[in-house]
Amino acid sequence: MLNSATARRARELGTLVGLVLLVGLLSVLTPHFLSVSNLLNVMEQTSINAVIALGMTFVILSGGIDLSVGSLLALSGVVLAWALQGGWPVPAAILAGLGVGGASGLVNGLLITKGRLPAFIATLGMMSIARGAALVFTSGRPISGFGAGFRQLSTARILGVPGPIVITIAVYALGHFLLTRTRFGRYVYAIGGNEEATRLSGISAGFHKTMVYVLSGVASGLAAALLTARLNSAQPIAGINYELDAIAATVIGGTSLSGGVGTLHGTLIGALIMGVLRNGLNLLGTSSFFQQIVIGVVIITAVLVDSMLKPSAK
Amino acid sequence: MAKRKLAVVMAAALLAAGCGPRAEAPKTDAAPEAPRVALVLKTLNSPFFIDMEKGAQEAARRLGVNLTVQAAEREVDVDKQMQIIENLIQTGIKVLLVTPSGSKEIAPAIAKANKAGIRVVVVDTRVDAGAAKDAGITIDSYIGSDNYEGGKMAGSYLVQATGGKASVGVLEGIPGHETGDQRLRGFKDAVKDAKGIKIVASQTANWERDQGFTVFQNMLEAHPEIDAVFSANDMMALGAVEAIAAKGKTGKIKVVGYDAVEDAKKAIADGTIVGSVAQFPSEMGRVAVETADKLLKGQAVPAEQLVRIDLVTREKPAGTAAGGKQ
Repeated sequence: MLNSATARRARELGTLVGLVLLVGLLSVLTPHFLSVSNLLNVMEQTSINAVIALGMTFVILSGGIDLSVGSLLALSGVVLAWALQGGWPVPAAILAGLGVGGASGLVNGLLITKGRLPAFIATLGMMSIARGAALVFTSGRPISGFGAGFRQLSTARILGVPGPIVITIAVYALGHFLLTRTRFGRYVYAIGGNEEATRLSGISAGFHKTMVYVLSGVASGLAAALLTARLNSAQPIAGINYELDAIAATVIGGTSLSGGVGTLHGTLIGALIMGVLRNGLNLLGTSSFFQQIVIGVVIITAVLVDSMLKPSAK
Repeated sequence: MAKRKLAVVMAAALLAAGCGPRAEAPKTDAAPEAPRVALVLKTLNSPFFIDMEKGAQEAARRLGVNLTVQAAEREVDVDKQMQIIENLIQTGIKVLLVTPSGSKEIAPAIAKANKAGIRVVVVDTRVDAGAAKDAGITIDSYIGSDNYEGGKMAGSYLVQATGGKASVGVLEGIPGHETGDQRLRGFKDAVKDAKGIKIVASQTANWERDQGFTVFQNMLEAHPEIDAVFSANDMMALGAVEAIAAKGKTGKIKVVGYDAVEDAKKAIADGTIVGSVAQFPSEMGRVAVETADKLLKGQAVPAEQLVRIDLVTREKPAGTAAGGKQ
């Protein structure tokens, strides 16, 4: 039987191979796929899901789940838009958006650790509260039209690479560092692996768990800034079902829903697989109905492989 | 073990690929490199847009236009619609026909199409003038029906049907959505001179049937005097009809809807809805493709092409006015 480290490496490699195969296949099937402009296009489209999925990966690694991310994206977005229209400087407005996301995440974390609510319930409640708050805050109307300065977030090109891609790469680098090179990261894995044992070894599991939800909220706030700049509009109904895309990217990337196992680069590849699939199916002229089936198949396949690779599951 | 993983991913990818060429095949055999026209709809799970697609496909066949039709899964998913447009730009289309999911949010996507030299025709939902100016975009033509006039038509009919005396509950579309806003504005302008008509409640039910039911049920609790309804689309109106039936008030409340979808026409025949403003989505689709054809041939097109609207009532049933007429 494989030992767990080898199995994990095989799984990681498998995801990457899956992405490469998909890219190869689409390059053959449509002449429009393999071009610099289309590949940048796919990565730009993937960036929003990838940023949310970064936060989601921390949460799932710690053994939790965050269903509120799509609603937090909407709430952060409308607060950010409101601040921009109120004449706030761009960085301050973005910070306000991140702050709203982080504060809501803090409430999630406290409900889960202090209130002893299951993560599913706490974030399900927050999903509804944040969505309602976004609708109340805007009376249901989108807030649109921002200065070119803010829109740079989406329109800027750094050495020809669109801004959202650069930002995504930067936050993944930061997240990877946090997860693999800091005590916080090690504790996240430890809590997800065995929370009781982690607590007994004197680590403040509650604090670290709470921070994971704060991080997820901040990630949603950042995704909100990217989306708002991209559409030049913040909608209170934005981000519906985005939590499911983020969870999908995370599990396709090999993170175990039971916590403790997974990587951020896996998640990034997972998000890219979803983005490439959608892009490719669009290029091929496939209907949106088929796309949903295909994405569902890929999610199930990825998790199926996980369970097959696990040495003799109980 | 990695091999097994590899095999399943490949199978999934093949499945994905399998769906593509089939949809593509009929278009490629005639003229493989003909200039392509794309019609991007809000969604393909509503009768309105299915009719529009039908009209467009027929015109495309007749004119020999190489047409591809795509839509997001959900009607309000503005980012997904933008992604579809970005992806279509990559395929080298020449004309983009689009029904915007968001009046303002569509502007950046159109700007990208403009930049790629693609001609743009907007269908059904207008692009917000401010957002268009802001993004500096060029739209070759707008095709749709006049929602303001339609709202007025509904309002005048409601005045007539109630004898100019009614307490009206209004079911609005999604706020900030141009189509619903225009219908509402037209409706209000039509009833404002009728002294006996009072709008006692006005709320959104987000275009949806089930929400139309609950929102109107609550409205009726708060305002039992309501004896007429204007709903910005038929789906919400049909929900309200159910709520009225649940309250045992069928026949006592006059409901006016919008779109004249199949179910609403049945309700009109039954008398549970008194009237609905018919649009002609298949005609919009046809005119859109004809416009694309002209643009491809370098001909001039009008900046605005309004498709007729018509009031459907029990006395004047759909007949020739059928939206999905072949």
